[in-house]
Amino acid sequence: MDEITCRDLVELVTPYLEDALDEPTLDLLEEHLVMCDWCVDYLEQIRATIGALSTMPAEPVPARLREALAGVLREAG
Amino acid sequence: MPSASPTTTLRAVDFDRLIEQHYGSMKRMARTFVGSDAVAEEVVQDTWLAIVAGIDRFEGRSSLQTWMFSILTNKAKTRGARERRSTPLSCLGGREPDEPAIDADRFQSDDDAWPGHWATPPRPWQKPERRLLSLEARGHLKAALDALPERQRLVVTLRDVEGFGADEVCELLDLSPENQRVLLHRGRTRLRATLEAYVEGV
Repeated sequence: MDEITCRDLVELVTPYLEDALDEPTLDLLEEHLVMCDWCVDYLEQIRATIGALSTMPAEPVPARLREALAGVLREAG
Repeated sequence: MPSASPTTTLRAVDFDRLIEQHYGSMKRMARTFVGSDAVAEEVVQDTWLAIVAGIDRFEGRSSLQTWMFSILTNKAKTRGARERRSTPLSCLGGREPDEPAIDADRFQSDDDAWPGHWATPPRPWQKPERRLLSLEARGHLKAALDALPERQRLVVTLRDVEGFGADEVCELLDLSPENQRVLLHRGRTRLRATLEAYVEGV
């Protein structure tokens, strides 16, 4: 393999972000990023997606669950 | 050395905060194994009762989070098996079919000038962080996550929402490393596409 295309890169983003690419592939991918702004954007968008997932707002806890646990914790305490 | 009394250990854990932090992911996970939201909530409640009951025996060999989620997974699987869900649990570990995660027509074909390069490239998201943190965007993302195929939904929830490492997820879900990565890849690719549509106002 002497070059990777944008299509290749899109399929490699996940192992790339996990540091799981072998060195030759990693070199080719990084070379591609130097030359291709679109893929740089794509990679940033994947990162932004992961970032948004990591800050997903908490779902409200049902009162029933809180009450059940409060009861158990009271008994134990 | 005397072991900590149950009351000491219980008081040391801020259950209110812990529940709030993990409730959404736990419910989402339970829901992939059982047939309804109501049953998923029951599974999560049973899980928390078991966590509280067992916390003084938790030895810290795994992280607290891994321990909690393995209790959840066991309870959800057991409940799902009892319900005799149409998706056999053995399917969870099946090999993912080979297919690209993103539409082939986003890229130039072999007949075009630059085969494999973008045909319809991604457009930059203006100030992505600010836009993605809007309530509306996060609502879209949550809906998209809930709409992912089950296995992708599970892996993305555990890896990206909950922050588990790859090894932990493989263990919790009984997945091979390869399958785990493929599922993560596909889930993330789809979610990015959803956000792309939202950001571009489609």
